[in-house]
Amino acid sequence: MPVEVVTGNHAAGHALSVAAEANREARGAACGIYPITPQTEIVEYVAKFPFTKCRVVPVESEHSAMGVSIGASLAGARAFTASSSNGLAYMVENIMVAGYYRLPIVMATVNRTLGPPWNIWADHGDTLMLRDFPWIQFYCESNQEVMDTTLLAFRIAEDHRILLPALVSLDAFILSHTQGETDLADQSQTDRYLPDLDLPHRMRHDDPKTLGGLMWPDVATSLRLEIDEAMSRVPTVLQEARAEFMEMFGRDPGDALQTLGTKDAETILVAIGSIATTAHEVVQARRDAGEKVGLIKLKMFRPFPEEALREACRTAGRVGVLDRNYAAGMGGVFWQDIRAAFQATRSDLLIQDYLTGLCGGDVTPAMIEEVLADLTTRERADRPVWMGIAA
Amino acid sequence: MVEIRIHGRGGQGGVTLAKIIATSRFLLGQSVQAFGLYAAERSGAPIQAFCRYDDEPIANRNLIYSPDHIIVLDPTLVGSAITGGLKPGGWILINTTKEPQDLAEQFPDNPVATVDATAIARANKLGTRSVPIVNTALAGAAARLLGFELTEIHDALEHLGFVGPNIAAASQAHEALRLAGDAAADAGVALEEATAPGGAVPEGAEEAGIQEESAETAAPYTIVPRGPSFLEGAGGDLPGIETGQWATEQPHRQQYIPPCNHVCPAGNDVQGFLHALAHDDPDRALEILLESSPFPAVCGRVCPAPCMASCNRIDLDGAVNVRQLERYAGDNGNAALNPVEVHDERVAVVGSGPAGLTAAYHLARYGYRVTVYESTADLGGLLRSGIPRFRLPEDVLDHEIGRILALGVEAVTEHPIDRRGLMEMAGQHDAVLVATGLQELRGLRLGIGDTPAVDQGIDFLDLVRRGRVRVDGEDVVVVGGGNTAMDAARSSLRLGANSARVVYRRTREEMPAIAEEIDEALEEGVQLDYLVQPISLQPDGSAAEGTVAESEAASAHAAGPDGAGYRLTCRRMELGEPDKSSRRRPVEIPGSDFELQCSRVILALGQSPDLSVFPEGTEVREGEELLGLLETPVFAIGDLATNDGTVAGAIGSGRRSAIHIHGALSGERTEITEHAADRRDVDVWHDDVIRPDAMRLHLFERQSGQEGASLPMTTRQSTFDEIHMGLTDPSEAKRCLSCGVCNECDLCVTYCPEGVLKRVGHQLVFDYAYCKGCGICVTECPRNVIFMSHL
Amino acid sequence: MTTDTATRTPPSPGALGEVPSIPCTEECLLRPGNTNCGGCGMSVGLTMLGRALEEAGEVCTLAIPACCGAVTAGAFPTTSYGAPVVNTTFASAAAVASGLACVRDLNEERGQVICWAGDGGTYDIGIATLSAAAERDDNILYICYDNEIYGNTGGQRSSATPPGARTTTTPTGKKEDKKDIMSILVAHGIPYAATLSIAHPVDFRRKLETAFSITGTRFLLMHSPCPTGWKSEPADSVGLVRIAVSSGLFPLYEVWNGKTYRLNVLPDWTAPAEYFKRQRRFKDYEIDLETTTRVCRERFERLAVMAERFPHEG
Repeated sequence: MPVEVVTGNHAAGHALSVAAEANREARGAACGIYPITPQTEIVEYVAKFPFTKCRVVPVESEHSAMGVSIGASLAGARAFTASSSNGLAYMVENIMVAGYYRLPIVMATVNRTLGPPWNIWADHGDTLMLRDFPWIQFYCESNQEVMDTTLLAFRIAEDHRILLPALVSLDAFILSHTQGETDLADQSQTDRYLPDLDLPHRMRHDDPKTLGGLMWPDVATSLRLEIDEAMSRVPTVLQEARAEFMEMFGRDPGDALQTLGTKDAETILVAIGSIATTAHEVVQARRDAGEKVGLIKLKMFRPFPEEALREACRTAGRVGVLDRNYAAGMGGVFWQDIRAAFQATRSDLLIQDYLTGLCGGDVTPAMIEEVLADLTTRERADRPVWMGIAA
Repeated sequence: MVEIRIHGRGGQGGVTLAKIIATSRFLLGQSVQAFGLYAAERSGAPIQAFCRYDDEPIANRNLIYSPDHIIVLDPTLVGSAITGGLKPGGWILINTTKEPQDLAEQFPDNPVATVDATAIARANKLGTRSVPIVNTALAGAAARLLGFELTEIHDALEHLGFVGPNIAAASQAHEALRLAGDAAADAGVALEEATAPGGAVPEGAEEAGIQEESAETAAPYTIVPRGPSFLEGAGGDLPGIETGQWATEQPHRQQYIPPCNHVCPAGNDVQGFLHALAHDDPDRALEILLESSPFPAVCGRVCPAPCMASCNRIDLDGAVNVRQLERYAGDNGNAALNPVEVHDERVAVVGSGPAGLTAAYHLARYGYRVTVYESTADLGGLLRSGIPRFRLPEDVLDHEIGRILALGVEAVTEHPIDRRGLMEMAGQHDAVLVATGLQELRGLRLGIGDTPAVDQGIDFLDLVRRGRVRVDGEDVVVVGGGNTAMDAARSSLRLGANSARVVYRRTREEMPAIAEEIDEALEEGVQLDYLVQPISLQPDGSAAEGTVAESEAASAHAAGPDGAGYRLTCRRMELGEPDKSSRRRPVEIPGSDFELQCSRVILALGQSPDLSVFPEGTEVREGEELLGLLETPVFAIGDLATNDGTVAGAIGSGRRSAIHIHGALSGERTEITEHAADRRDVDVWHDDVIRPDAMRLHLFERQSGQEGASLPMTTRQSTFDEIHMGLTDPSEAKRCLSCGVCNECDLCVTYCPEGVLKRVGHQLVFDYAYCKGCGICVTECPRNVIFMSHL
Repeated sequence: MTTDTATRTPPSPGALGEVPSIPCTEECLLRPGNTNCGGCGMSVGLTMLGRALEEAGEVCTLAIPACCGAVTAGAFPTTSYGAPVVNTTFASAAAVASGLACVRDLNEERGQVICWAGDGGTYDIGIATLSAAAERDDNILYICYDNEIYGNTGGQRSSATPPGARTTTTPTGKKEDKKDIMSILVAHGIPYAATLSIAHPVDFRRKLETAFSITGTRFLLMHSPCPTGWKSEPADSVGLVRIAVSSGLFPLYEVWNGKTYRLNVLPDWTAPAEYFKRQRRFKDYEIDLETTTRVCRERFERLAVMAERFPHEG
């Protein structure tokens, strides 16, 4: 398929659709869909797609959108949906269920500020609210990455070593509504990349088991442990899926952690989503000027790539985390986990949180310059710094 | 610290018991804990609850693994692993009817105390019948074991708002507690000391270390193996929870005697043949009837049907029309009876009425060689001569007699037997049955002497049958209240009588005639005068003495010039005290005489046995050999022996006698059952009859009974055609309630919530391993064939 | 087999009619060893549903929201259900069932997708989901076993609780009337909506067979006695709901496409004194029998008018 100029929503919708269509020789696909700005275009794209064997069920709420997808997945179909912000909050209960039922549902999530107030712009707080559920979480910085990561997510989620749902996040408007050149996967490529879904625990009349009934503490703990084991296998499966993707499509869908200059960087910024693009420009410029600055783009937040992170920060003395989210009473969510990753191993490492672009604020190169200025000069880490607003 | 573990079932109030005990300590200033182990317990499922109390603040949030004492709320839990971790010497208090000694062997290391808290809870109406709430009673009982004052438990109950019956239950259980062994009382005291805070350590307890170790026993750390994953295919097995252990009661099958079977003089399995007809199987119905009676088609026409009078359906919407259904089976069923010949013994039957023929029938079916001797030219006795064709067509009778003869029964007609003949007959047979019925006809002194104007009803009916009597234009008065009276009157009208009037000295209620026949007689124009006793008959005025000439052609009864040749003087009666037949005795009303004009008087006052065939002084009783004749046993059967007077009664007598003689001749042990109900494989067989109040009549739909069509009145009044046309289908049988006998309606199976009540073949099978004892099968059985028993 | 509903004229009340013999096999929908209370109406319903499925040669998948039925299965991996079951979130039974059903249809497979839900998951928290599935006419069979209480959580008020009933959240008796869920579903114009009583097994069976034979959203409302919540004798369960039918408290009727009606059993209008007396949830609260009967009568008359004016043919 030729490269086209499309929005991030278009890319996500296309990826979900071709993935769904790719299961037509098997048990087909289905999804429940519900509108919410700025995600709506994704489900509109899906609703228009000329599927061979896929049911798109327009439901009355996000809660039911995931409900329908859970039912479809349990019936062995490739299931997916998309949502955003308060919609995700309303969906939470069923998002959790999809994870604990080990259903390889893929959800495109457009990151939008949780309200109130009424605010439709980018903030990662909505998907981070889901961080403790058994979902794989990807954050993208471009429409192409949205496209590619969605297919990658299906591939990983449906792997029998994994069997966990995955969400693919894109920033509201910055990606969702921004046109950009995107190489949209064609159907035959997708068909080859995604094998037919074979859900081992789908509902079968010849195997009348009951899912989700009472379990005593020991049995329930055992299931939690299985999820932890599946999560721990994700990095390996990701590498396999990524390699095959490169072979099939001739481009890299991206590793869990992507770096710039971390081999020798003394100061490293960590960015997530579209901020990574801006940060990349700033860091690259600094490096071009001879500064030992580096950048880590965190693509996969769950499972948390702790090991890769430690490796990437080997030479660093200072790490600044650009958090487009705020966990009340604590600070940035990414910062918390990154700090924890170095606990006990790097007491010398200064890790400072910068709250940037919250509630859809624009993260400019100048702001990142300010961050670097602060990071490189401060003597010790402190409470998160609220960027762009008077103290 | 004292730790108590409570084992019970969901709904019994185990957690609340822990709370009551804890509250009683709390009110005394101690530190307490009370909690349950919560999951998805349902009413009846095994549960655990826990209680701790101590003088010091309690710093333990674990379950109780090593309790000091155990309280068991449900006796069915005894035997399961309830004593796990129980400290040696710790008490086990069990809610049970058993004595503690009976359980001592089961718990050698621990003293046992018992109390019937369930009975106390029920008596105080705590909880439901199947799930009584026993916690307050057990709190009272536990108080004694734990060394509490009863008032401390009362205080706790009041503090928690459990008043009234709960307080009473606690007190009663406190009183009723039973301790094991002779030293029970001492042990109780000892325990008080052992468990009372700061009390002395009793003998034995030191060894067990009740107090020393109780606070030190730490909850264990265990590593469990990995559980199953639902990603794998396996799974879906039964939970294996034997919920039958939750039950406090269990259902069982029972059977009662249906009233119809009980009262049937012929011994028919009424319920059984109705069941077959309800399933549209007249062949099977006939087969069942033929087990007891060779005359279903006859009885289905002429039986007074006491079964219908006793039918439990009367309380709902009227009796099942058993008579017509028996006729339906007799007319429409086909049953093959093959002759058998297994015995050489020859049996003579004297008389071919229903008793004689029934006996012959059964004896032939046993395989005896039977000869029936009949004094007249036709077989059937009174069935033929005494019942008019419009009630019993002769071809119906012939058909049923034919079935008897087809079994190989020989018939010798026009062979009257006198005393001498009986002796001879005895010499030629191995047994003789005399079934000559009631030959002596009761007369009435009417002060006129022997006159042809007065006939006996039985004779009159036989003349009618043979076409040898004419009554056209006559005014006929029939005296009596039985079927013969009705038959004579109705026959008279058919033959063209001007009027037919039945006079009876009591009221309709006491009339022995079948109610339906009385109704029909009235419909046809017979007049009935109750409480009237004929006194005398005189020729009418100066009218010439009546001449009676019986010619070959007809019997013409000359009347006076006006057609009414006689005056019958009658007296009015009233009912007095009941006589020995328990009917109210008619008493004359002085000065109430009046006269009836008539041309003929027919007496239908009943008959009595003619014993002249036997040696003088012979006492005749059914089933008893008349000894002293010869070596051959001679029996009197039927009306001759019973004086019963009904066809069904005669059939019953014939059947019983045949069984009896078979026993006498073969030496086999035979049993005569009064009712032939099919004994199902039930747990309890009741020898009593099920009454309407034991039926669940509200579960039946009201549905009026079927009568079948009758001939139009004009035909009835002018011909001897059978007036009833019978039922066109057997659906009336579906009205049978099958009282007290399972008819496989399977409502119990339908309603069983667990699906553990099944029908296997004709049997109901309860799966007690899973039956929770809810009792729905009992309350939903319309015919009361399931009952609950306490476990 | 005769039915007590074959004719348009409702037959007399309270009757059993003729009951067909019912096969009993080892593999049933509700298996022995389940942990439901003794005398549970839901158990009776599940057992009858299982037999109806078997008789019709049908298989099923159950979607069960939070309710007593959700814990019926027992501890995983064992199960008391003889069919595949998924426990859904409280509000989601109809949505999950829609997902299951659409994939079944995509793959042209047989089998009923059945929501087995209590009144809480139907009348209250699940009503939006149910309404949406009904509006889309998704091909599911939704059976609400209405025990008029949140039974699984220990007996709280739901919008299906009748007035006068004491629950743990209406300690002085509920004041409000029971929600008319049937009218709500009928207003969706779904192809089939009917009420079920376990005390009328022939009618029960026939309605299930009718529901099996129809495509689209089918809604069945089953009056489900709950000895624990109703504080009644377990043995009385069937008897109580029979009185509910004969007294008009729980009318038995069917509605097709939201348009045509059929009444199944004509109440005899005897005041349901026994019904209230035999449930201790009504104890201490005076139930005005006259008013109750009048309200029931008025409701039934409205239904009768519909059945008269818009009768279901065939």
